Amino acid sequence: MTIRKALPAFIPFLVITAVVEFLVRFGFVKAYLLPAPSSVFLVIARDWSELVAALAKTSAGALIGFAASALFGISIAVFLSSSRSIQRAFFPYAVFFQTVPIVAIAPLLVIWFGYGMRTVIASAFICSIFPVIANTLNGIVSTDPALQDLFRLYGASRLVTLFKLRFPAALPQILTGLRVSAGLAVIGAIVGEFIGGQGLGSVVDVARTQQRTDKVFAAVLLASLLGLGLFGLINVISSLTLRRWHASERD
Amino acid sequence: MNRRSFLTLTPLLATLASCGKTSKIRLALNWKPDPEFGGFYAADYQKHGLDVDILPGGAGTPTVQMVGAGSAEFGIVSGDEIVLARSKGNDVVGVYASFQQNPMAIMVHESRNLKSIADVVQGGTLAIQSGLPFARILKQKYGFDKVKIVPSPAGDIGPFLGDPMFAQQCFLTAEPLAARRKGAKVQTFPVADVGYNPYAQVMAVSGDLLKKQPEVVKSMVAAVREGWRAYLDNPQPTNVKMQALNPSMDMATFNDVANAQKPLIEAADLGSMTKDRWEALVKQLNQLGDIATAPSVEEYYRSL
Repeated sequence: MTIRKALPAFIPFLVITAVVEFLVRFGFVKAYLLPAPSSVFLVIARDWSELVAALAKTSAGALIGFAASALFGISIAVFLSSSRSIQRAFFPYAVFFQTVPIVAIAPLLVIWFGYGMRTVIASAFICSIFPVIANTLNGIVSTDPALQDLFRLYGASRLVTLFKLRFPAALPQILTGLRVSAGLAVIGAIVGEFIGGQGLGSVVDVARTQQRTDKVFAAVLLASLLGLGLFGLINVISSLTLRRWHASERD
Repeated sequence: MNRRSFLTLTPLLATLASCGKTSKIRLALNWKPDPEFGGFYAADYQKHGLDVDILPGGAGTPTVQMVGAGSAEFGIVSGDEIVLARSKGNDVVGVYASFQQNPMAIMVHESRNLKSIADVVQGGTLAIQSGLPFARILKQKYGFDKVKIVPSPAGDIGPFLGDPMFAQQCFLTAEPLAARRKGAKVQTFPVADVGYNPYAQVMAVSGDLLKKQPEVVKSMVAAVREGWRAYLDNPQPTNVKMQALNPSMDMATFNDVANAQKPLIEAADLGSMTKDRWEALVKQLNQLGDIATAPSVEEYYRSL
């Protein structure tokens, strides 16, 4: 059942892989510009232990950064939703996170946080927090006014209204924010690794200087699998929490 | 390109090829305009019947792939890049070596009182592009077990200034000068001293172009050689020109660097390359396992 549902996703993959393989095999595209998919898979097989160790590091950095984004992003959005003036005062600063050119400040992250994991986490966090804030806030402030009136009628406190009404009602938007930010966390982690020196980012950096395009693509492929994994994780959470009441999760 | 624009272009290309006087040529740099490219900016290409567009680059501009792919006719690459590229089927050939001595070095704080690179790797932190051949040769030679290896900050000296036990790869002509201007006491160990000395800032061309338009390549090399001679004798006017293109580097730095790089470039026959040097390089890369076989070195460079 689930396998049949996942099947359509494999068709474009197989077609694109076959086309690229054909183009490189028959010399339409040079292998040092775009490696043949077969050589990428070969590299993955040959350097498996190195790549998996790198993937584990990148996953840890991206996951922790992403979790921090979820935690702080939702908390910040709840805080911002508490009043219009607070929102006006602070939301523009949240936009800062969206526009910060991570490549430009990454060298500073190293100076602040040192080489290694902490820089990677910080980079993943900075890249991925904004969609969580923006979507959560949007969800919380657009609660059905009729339901809010109902809660007021029953004399529910602000806290009760928040946790029993506004927050659950915002869940679909929150999860959309998390889906967007999951991919960004992976990008952020890899950029951080370019500078902080570990994981798939480091593999890409080293392979690039050795003109190993096949290995660059192998690392990129694993990074996208990580993104896909995070995306899948959010989908599972989404289906568990929304299944019973939201149209998006009904089959 | 659609068919129509191609058709209108064909006669144009034919005229260009037949008159052979001026043809648009792109020269891809692997960094922003600065003194290491002085000769290329000083060159009078028009005098040699060339119309040259210099394309500035940045960190990681893949000039060697650009030349192979034809998105630039000429590109600035390092000697070892040529060897690696050819082993991957990318037909590029070096035709002019700007730096006779490789400017790569390790810079450390003078306070550490070190005598050689062998001492550098005995402790502290070393920022280095660990994929580059020179880094792997150092690793092979001295081992990196006692030193913490971190990525090269690509010209940034912030981490170096903040940590007396921090060492980093550098161009003799760049980071050490910047660090000294910030008041740091700096010592440098050229990588050439441990025997790894590939030509640097080499102008490369595709084997295809070299075969089809040898006279264009020849004129280009002649123009560049004259350009470097002029730049070495009087860098000032070209520095003014380059500084306008790269305002983030101040004039004093331009002049300092131009001075510092002079001994690395100066030669009886500017830009020339020898078989011995290429043979030594190929042997080293072969020992590193970067290239499986060591083909005849003649294919890597051409003396024009």
